[in-house]
Amino acid sequence: MQPVAELQQDAAEDLKLVADVLRKDRKATAEFVLRYTDWVYGYVRRRVMPRTDVADDLTQEVFVASWQSLKNYRGNASLRNWLLGIARHKVDDYYRKRLRTFDWPDAEDESVAEPCAIPAYEEQIDRASLQKKTKRVLAGLPEAYGLVLLWRYQEGRSAREMAELTGKTEKAIERMLARARERFKRRWNHAGA
Amino acid sequence: MPEHDWDEELFRAVCDSAETASEERAPSRVKARVYSAIIREQQESGPLQSLSETRASGHGLCVFESLVQIAPVGEKAKSPFFCWTCHARLLAENVEDAPIFWINCPYVTFQNR
Repeated sequence: MQPVAELQQDAAEDLKLVADVLRKDRKATAEFVLRYTDWVYGYVRRRVMPRTDVADDLTQEVFVASWQSLKNYRGNASLRNWLLGIARHKVDDYYRKRLRTFDWPDAEDESVAEPCAIPAYEEQIDRASLQKKTKRVLAGLPEAYGLVLLWRYQEGRSAREMAELTGKTEKAIERMLARARERFKRRWNHAGA
Repeated sequence: MPEHDWDEELFRAVCDSAETASEERAPSRVKARVYSAIIREQQESGPLQSLSETRASGHGLCVFESLVQIAPVGEKAKSPFFCWTCHARLLAENVEDAPIFWINCPYVTFQNR
């Protein structure tokens, strides 16, 4: 944990940097980009995985949006956390827009409810290989399935929230999640270690 | 444990494991594009801080900015985004770790070297 004096110094530095950027000091703006792009990019990239190709554009959108509301920054949160808050909204927007474009499962199609064998997860897998395998399995899923899984389980959105944000019914979301889980498990079992 | 709960726990664990992936550095071309995009936005609401003011606030200028800064022109003429016409910007936005080495050039500082 950072000592209080260090936190206060960070906060003062954040406020000075913001003031300089708001004065449109180009060098301070470069410092702002240099200091925080790694954080924002890393955050965005992990959340749009496996579609990491969209991380570049989303990162840029986060910073443009940050400039547009920078005058409202009061230093209540660290500048990094404030930027990550904007990034979270941008990632939500991305999920919402992408999921709206997909065809959703027919409400009468019961195939998603088919029971599937529970894979043997008791096996001891170290964290690194688990991450690697997760990425590989997610990357092999149809995009819509990967998105709903990440939105639900990585972002912690409820089915109801996802329904509201995409304009779908909660039932449709749950069915999509069921399909995605089913497909994920199947691929996981065939993916090896 | 009922199957449904087991599923929820499984996927939470799996997706959390993806989230804690190691910290990644942004590509230098992303930083370059982000910087240019913010400057463009800044210009839309009026001129940038002039180069004289930038230098007065303690920042170094690149060789091209220095030339503009000492030119016998008004302060207003010293506020445009001169990097827009510079090859360093173009290279930095399109090539990872572009071969640019100007002192005090922001696009050089973005390089992950």
